[in-house]
Amino acid sequence: MLKYLSPQNCLSKGKKMVSSKIQNSIYNISISTVVPGLMSGHDAVQELSAMDLAMKLHYLRIVYYFKTPTFDGFTILKIKETMFNWLNHTYITCGRFRRADSGRPFIKCNDSGVRVIEAKCRLSLDEWLETKDDSKHELLVSNQVLGPDLAYSPLILVQLTDFKCGGKSVGVSWAHVLGDAFSAVGFINLWAQAMIHSYPAQPLTMAQQHNWACDLQNPKPNPYPLSVKRVDPVGDLWSTTSNFKMETASFYVSTTELTRLQAQICGKKVDQKVPEFECICAVIWQCLAKVRNGSGPKAVTICRNDVKTRDKGIITNESQTIGLVKTDISAQDYKPFELVSLIMNKAEDERMKIKEAMDRDNELPDFLIYGANLTFVDLSDAPFYEMEVRGQKPVYVNCYIDNVGEEGVVLVLPSPKGCSDGRMVSVTLPENQMAEFKSVLNEDWAIA
Amino acid sequence: MPQPTMPDFSNNNNLIKRRKYLKLSYQYFVNHFISFLLIPIIATVAIQLARIGPDDIIATIKSFHYNPVQVLCSLFVLIFISTVYFMSKPRSVYLVDYSCYKPPITCRVPFSTFMEHSRLILKDNPKSVEFQMRILERSGLGEETSLPPAIHYIPPTPNMEAARGEAELVIFSAIDNLFAKTGLKPKDIDILIVNCSLFSPTPSLSAMVVNKYKLRSNIKSYNLSGMGCSAGLISIDLARDLLQVLPNSNAVVVSTEIITPNYYQGNERAMLLPNCLFRMGAAALLLSNKRREQKRAKYKLVHVVRTHKGSDDRAYRCVYEQEDPQGLVGINLSKDLMVIAAEALKSNITTMGPLVLPASEQLLFLFTLIGRKIFNPKWKPYIPDFKLAFEHFCIHAGGRAVIDELQKNLQLSAEHVEASRMTLHRFGNTSSSSLWYELSYIESKGRMKKGDRVWQIAFGSGFKCNSAVWKCNRNIKTPINGPWEDCIDRYPVHIPEVVKL
Repeated sequence: MLKYLSPQNCLSKGKKMVSSKIQNSIYNISISTVVPGLMSGHDAVQELSAMDLAMKLHYLRIVYYFKTPTFDGFTILKIKETMFNWLNHTYITCGRFRRADSGRPFIKCNDSGVRVIEAKCRLSLDEWLETKDDSKHELLVSNQVLGPDLAYSPLILVQLTDFKCGGKSVGVSWAHVLGDAFSAVGFINLWAQAMIHSYPAQPLTMAQQHNWACDLQNPKPNPYPLSVKRVDPVGDLWSTTSNFKMETASFYVSTTELTRLQAQICGKKVDQKVPEFECICAVIWQCLAKVRNGSGPKAVTICRNDVKTRDKGIITNESQTIGLVKTDISAQDYKPFELVSLIMNKAEDERMKIKEAMDRDNELPDFLIYGANLTFVDLSDAPFYEMEVRGQKPVYVNCYIDNVGEEGVVLVLPSPKGCSDGRMVSVTLPENQMAEFKSVLNEDWAIA
Repeated sequence: MPQPTMPDFSNNNNLIKRRKYLKLSYQYFVNHFISFLLIPIIATVAIQLARIGPDDIIATIKSFHYNPVQVLCSLFVLIFISTVYFMSKPRSVYLVDYSCYKPPITCRVPFSTFMEHSRLILKDNPKSVEFQMRILERSGLGEETSLPPAIHYIPPTPNMEAARGEAELVIFSAIDNLFAKTGLKPKDIDILIVNCSLFSPTPSLSAMVVNKYKLRSNIKSYNLSGMGCSAGLISIDLARDLLQVLPNSNAVVVSTEIITPNYYQGNERAMLLPNCLFRMGAAALLLSNKRREQKRAKYKLVHVVRTHKGSDDRAYRCVYEQEDPQGLVGINLSKDLMVIAAEALKSNITTMGPLVLPASEQLLFLFTLIGRKIFNPKWKPYIPDFKLAFEHFCIHAGGRAVIDELQKNLQLSAEHVEASRMTLHRFGNTSSSSLWYELSYIESKGRMKKGDRVWQIAFGSGFKCNSAVWKCNRNIKTPINGPWEDCIDRYPVHIPEVVKL
């Protein structure tokens, strides 16, 4: 069965291998496709913006865990029926890529649908969540990428895994070219709505294009912005090879720990208040600077939700700010508070520069944004836990970004009980830095 | 300066018009020959009677001497002759109503999804992938055809339970719908015929229906399997014959094809075509010879003509179920399928023609035949104009090639084959039930009027060509509750020669 998830299509080479015991606990895998129940896309052409194409090498992998009896009595046919109804309103995500004569990719909304993977797990949900191996979540969501058969690669894959106790996990793989994490979560929450037969008035659309005038006259084009790493042409296989195996670890930072961190950072400046996200960023930045021993990171990328431009019912890459913070000296030599003010005040939004770099020549370069520098993504406001099935929220949501650069990515996520209860932090680093990073975090900041 | 071609063109036009009028007057004369004969006779008699005068007529009648015995004998002879006539007249068989199964949205397989699945399943055989892509692009199928849930998997997961599940779903839905439309009660079913070619479990599908609806223990039930796409008309023929023997009876005929167990999982090119064309569908019909159904019945069955070419080896092997070199079972379609179909059609028409064609066409055909045999073999054979005999045509939506071939052979216009093409587009090849989807299309478009004659033609493995002729019994008002309900306004659609993926 696994041969239909063609091996060269998967990112297994760039990731730390899961322990074989955990891997063997997933069995009975079957693959099918769910499409919009009614004709929805009508072969419409969906153009992609420069920002979309800049993000095309990244994939969001989100796993929702539901305790029993949320899905009790919900047969696979019934679940698929809700999906058929859901996808009627999201025809763009059901399309497939094509290339225009110029070579620019676009989406043909031909109702091809999303891939659905069904699996079973020998462990119960609690046993699974208690397992120490942080890479276990990768088994519950597809690791497929787009290509090499670009015209026949699904943009979204949903894996439904049944646990021994009756719990269920829903693993959604989302191609970042469609939109950022907020768009992805919005899309998934529409499914929860569809399950109670509540449908949006308008189908999901992409943001309107703003056409920036290209400065073709300029003989000496600007160098690529620092927030971007240009990679060798990937052709029709939208993934990259990396020299390092990346590893993801998640840990929980409670409110008390956050308050303590804030106090530690502010020190004697009692009237100053440091927001949680910047606090976490500064802490991790300093730890990593220590781990990398002065060789960096000298620039970090900060991605935040641009609330002003974000509209409901839209999937987009335009509503996430990509701010760049530069330092001349190693972050180790800064006081944490100075790092925080840098992040808060000196982050330059590079979106315009990225768009200009993408549109500049007809070549359409391939970029990595996440991980080009150490990247911090603020997803604490993303409505992960609004995905309610039969009135039940997920007990835990795990999220990571796949196919990122070697500098590392940090996601700040809401905790299961809400933002007032602390944060989940997901850190993706090269394998050989992870252990040291964990120990530095523990020693310097007392976070396990 | 005068254009030299113009006068020729208008001359040609005149010639064509003249020929048309000539043909029309010929047809009118021959077809109403008896009337033409009777008119002068009646005129002569009327003139004679007028001449004699009314009093003389009465006197002549009074002069006849009546012997009571003679009168009684004549009366008995009359009664005897009329009894014999009425007893030996075949019972009229009516199609009271029928229902077609409409698959739920959860069975939808858009064109591109089917292509994608085929690519993934056959990926070790790029040549087979290319072949299947080419077939699909030219297949004439649309975006809304349906496959059962087991076939949505990569690779498909057919098992007996899934096959039974599909059978129960399609057959029971069609029958429930039929009960709702006709008000038929299960206990009133006297004859039950189920035909499904490629899925034949034990107990049979007809037993499954008897079990589900708790039909009577003395029901005459039949299950026809292995008879191909033309089995629907074979079932009608069987029902008709039974209804001749059983007075005052209802017959329910269920035609379907179960897709789940028959998806070919190999990569032999000759066996890939059925996967691309066959889709879920079923139809349930209520036939009756009861006098009281006559008023509300939709159609009257006029003729059924069955032609079997199985005695020819080539025809017998042209649609052949077999194992491929890997041991996977599939249906092998031979390359001369179209030729054999054309021959079978010719045989069928030869029998059908004299039954339905007006006398004018038959005479013309006879004269051309005699002429070719005796005078000059080079004369073109006369193809009778079946459009004079029928208002509507339902050609089994076996595939685009079949419909094209028949349109050419019978010289039909695009509107005549519209029902077939659109059924192929919307529902795919639903095998024996496709004729009923096509009939439903014609009704949904409001084209069916009382007195219209319909010709249903089906081809099937064997090789068989079967036809049925129906006459519309009453006006059928739209909108009708049928499978085309929600989409009839979108049809007809233009179906491109090659679909761009």
